[in-house]
Amino acid sequence: MKTPREILFARHENVEPKLDAIRREIVGQASRLSPFEKEKSETGATPVLLLLWRELIFPCRRIWTGLAAVWILIFAVNFSQRDPAEMMARKSPAPSPEMILAFRQQEKLLAELIGSNEPRIAEPQKSFSPRPSSERRFETLMT
Amino acid sequence: MLAVAIAEQLPVQQAREGNPEAWDALFRRYQLPLYVYVFELVHNEQTSLDLVQETFIAAVRHIGGLRDDEKFGGWLFGIAHQKTIQLWRKHGGKEILFDEIPEPPDEFENSPDDLLIRREQEAEFMNLLNQLPMPQRSVLLLHFVEDFSIEEIAHITETQIGTVKSRLHYAKRALRKLLEEKK
Repeated sequence: MKTPREILFARHENVEPKLDAIRREIVGQASRLSPFEKEKSETGATPVLLLLWRELIFPCRRIWTGLAAVWILIFAVNFSQRDPAEMMARKSPAPSPEMILAFRQQEKLLAELIGSNEPRIAEPQKSFSPRPSSERRFETLMT
Repeated sequence: MLAVAIAEQLPVQQAREGNPEAWDALFRRYQLPLYVYVFELVHNEQTSLDLVQETFIAAVRHIGGLRDDEKFGGWLFGIAHQKTIQLWRKHGGKEILFDEIPEPPDEFENSPDDLLIRREQEAEFMNLLNQLPMPQRSVLLLHFVEDFSIEEIAHITETQIGTVKSRLHYAKRALRKLLEEKK
């Protein structure tokens, strides 16, 4: 009498040498495949970055990805709603000194032209300062 | 062979630290059970060897994801199961649902050694095992090969505990029926 396990194992005993070969091959590569070994080799170069990645970013990678996506969306919306005129003004280069000089000359010329046809400036209005009526009467007598 | 049921001290922590000798010990322990499980599902020697190799590589790469060292065996079989199912689906395998099968009664026996097979019944046993649909066969093999608990089998095959119970119950009942008929 045999258990099902014994029957199943007995049927495949002859494959053991092939399994041994596979095992030896993988064990030989274990140090290269192992994430622990990779970490050990990286730790010497950038331990702080690795620590940050392992402790802060990697465990909550989905949350970080979500936050990054939200920020990208905010930037995209903000960028698309900007005033194009403002952007153009910002993009245009600063005027050269020659341009400023030419502009001032034109301004001066324009001021002169306007100034010749300009009507006389009216006399400034007398300022009215209210005084008591008794004082006004005294002034009349004096004159 | 009953040693499977006894709690083993496996060098999982050393393997996690990249110790090749620890990996050698772990793979030596599981290579034949894994091969038997995979072979009895796919029935092809080369494919089974490839799947065992892929399972070992994945185990070395992802050992950091194993939380409980005592569950190494179940974890390893879980990888092998996933790889086998992926291959099976790639070759047009269809999912067979057994969820509609009612749950078995509570007198469900747990030990795979309850079933003893005489020498003259071995061929019939294997024949019947191969006739079972893949989900039932998978559950029965995990039960026979490593004596995994219902919870462990559910975890390995990513199915409900009730489903595992049903599959195991009906597969064992079919086996018993056959063996009694042949007496």
